Amino acid sequence: MLLEATNISKAFGDFQAVAGADLRVEEGEIVGLIGPNGAGKSTFFNCLAGDLTPTTGRVSFAGAELTHVSAEAHARAGIGRTFQVPATFEDMTVFENVMVGAFLRHSRRDDARDRTLSVLDMTGLQQFADQPARRLGTPGRKRLEIARVLATEPRLMLLDEALAGLTPAEIQQAIALVRAIHASGVTLVIVEHIMEVIMTLAVRVVVFNHGRVIARGKPEEVVRDQAVIEAYLGRRHRADAR
Amino acid sequence: MKWASLVLSAALLAYPLLLPDPFYLDVGLSFLLVALSASAWNIVGGYAGQVSVGHGMFFGVGAYAPLLVFNLWGAPPVAGVPLGIIISLILAVGVGTPTFRLQGHYFSMATIAVAELIRILVGTWPLVGAAIGLQGPAVGRAWWDLTFRSELPYYYLFLAVLALLLLITQQVERSRFGYYLRAIKSGERAARSLGVPVQRTKLYALMLSAVFTSLAGSLYAIKTGFVDPESGFGLLISVQMVIIAALGGAGTLYGPLVGALVLIPLQTATNDWLGGGGTGLTYILYGGIIVLLARFEPGGLHELWYAVAPKLKRRLQRKERPHAA
Repeated sequence: MLLEATNISKAFGDFQAVAGADLRVEEGEIVGLIGPNGAGKSTFFNCLAGDLTPTTGRVSFAGAELTHVSAEAHARAGIGRTFQVPATFEDMTVFENVMVGAFLRHSRRDDARDRTLSVLDMTGLQQFADQPARRLGTPGRKRLEIARVLATEPRLMLLDEALAGLTPAEIQQAIALVRAIHASGVTLVIVEHIMEVIMTLAVRVVVFNHGRVIARGKPEEVVRDQAVIEAYLGRRHRADAR
Repeated sequence: MKWASLVLSAALLAYPLLLPDPFYLDVGLSFLLVALSASAWNIVGGYAGQVSVGHGMFFGVGAYAPLLVFNLWGAPPVAGVPLGIIISLILAVGVGTPTFRLQGHYFSMATIAVAELIRILVGTWPLVGAAIGLQGPAVGRAWWDLTFRSELPYYYLFLAVLALLLLITQQVERSRFGYYLRAIKSGERAARSLGVPVQRTKLYALMLSAVFTSLAGSLYAIKTGFVDPESGFGLLISVQMVIIAALGGAGTLYGPLVGALVLIPLQTATNDWLGGGGTGLTYILYGGIIVLLARFEPGGLHELWYAVAPKLKRRLQRKERPHAA
């Protein structure tokens, strides 16, 4: 088991954002995390990335206990993550952004540069290498975030709506990129609203609602699940039920 | 950039030879000292974006230590330089450790508070001369007292330390440490997610910055042979470093030098016109610069240059074209 999150809860004051959620991810999987807005996906996700410390429960990764360690220790352990709202380093160039990630495993500048160049090549960002990140549009920034994480050589990548806001053509490119990353041996957990993305990429889906996992299984099974349909569309109108 | 460095080095080396008048030499010394302290501030305030408004504490400690060892034990002032550095490092760790856990303005506020606290304490502590301050050797006993009749040796001493700091800064810029500093400035949360040890990196930056600010203070005291709470720990000292770095371009190698190049002649000129009565005017000058920077160009002259230079170039090219045709 690569990632094991057991009985994760997170409360903000009186508000229970995540209530006893579990997630197990095997090496080499692509797991989709879906659910309506406010279902607690992002909070759960931030608990996995070490950005938030869960109120209860534990997170272990590749056999190491990560529940209470910092976000930077998560990155060192091999968990990389992107942000829902891209958090690229705006004043740094695309190349420099990726260098920051590459420096995690390579303290020497030349080694970090080699890693950066190969990541820029893989993500198709090499022609923007010398531009400041703020000049990129949303698709470029999302791609840059993925590149930056990739440069840290993660074993597990957590993508938080990395494909939201893209045009259909851009989505196809992004799907191809995610596939290539997966093929290079990275395990993925994807939070996504776009069903098309989840259906094509995820091998297994976990559905959140009100901070709990309400369904899990293959994508095509999950979309027919009564609880999932109700979570998204509301309880069926009485007149229909008859 | 290579050319700029060469021209700058040559100009700074030749300046006292071209303008040997003591007045100009004095302006040159002020320039170097201010450029040195602002460049030191720049490491933590510019590159890492952790704006300290209390760097006077390191400058003051650096200034007091050499004169203190002279007054207490009759040691040559230079012997106090390492003492100043050590105390500055302890201060840096003391201020940085609790405040760097937090983001935003807490660090700035803490630095103001600590610097003012030290200024008041020093002003009432007889061992360090209280409100009167400390004096160095009136007449040099030997060469190691570094009391030169001419200001020329000080000029080259200051220049050497500034050159060393710029070399180190340039190395930092290219290294992992430098990338991490800029990443932290851009976004701490994102930096953390990429494995940047944010708190530790900020602390190291503050420590490096404190060492050179302390050195600047020591050089000032050794040259002047006198320091009091205001000239060592005064708020104006701290604010000047921020203004100069911000004016030239915080977080760039030569920004603080450009800032000093503009501000020192300006300050000298205003003092000259208005005589001794214009000391309060420095605050007004600084205030005016803050307003102008905030309103028009938060990136300082460095950003302004990069915004204007391409337009200038295009205009020049347009003018050249008819000739070519």
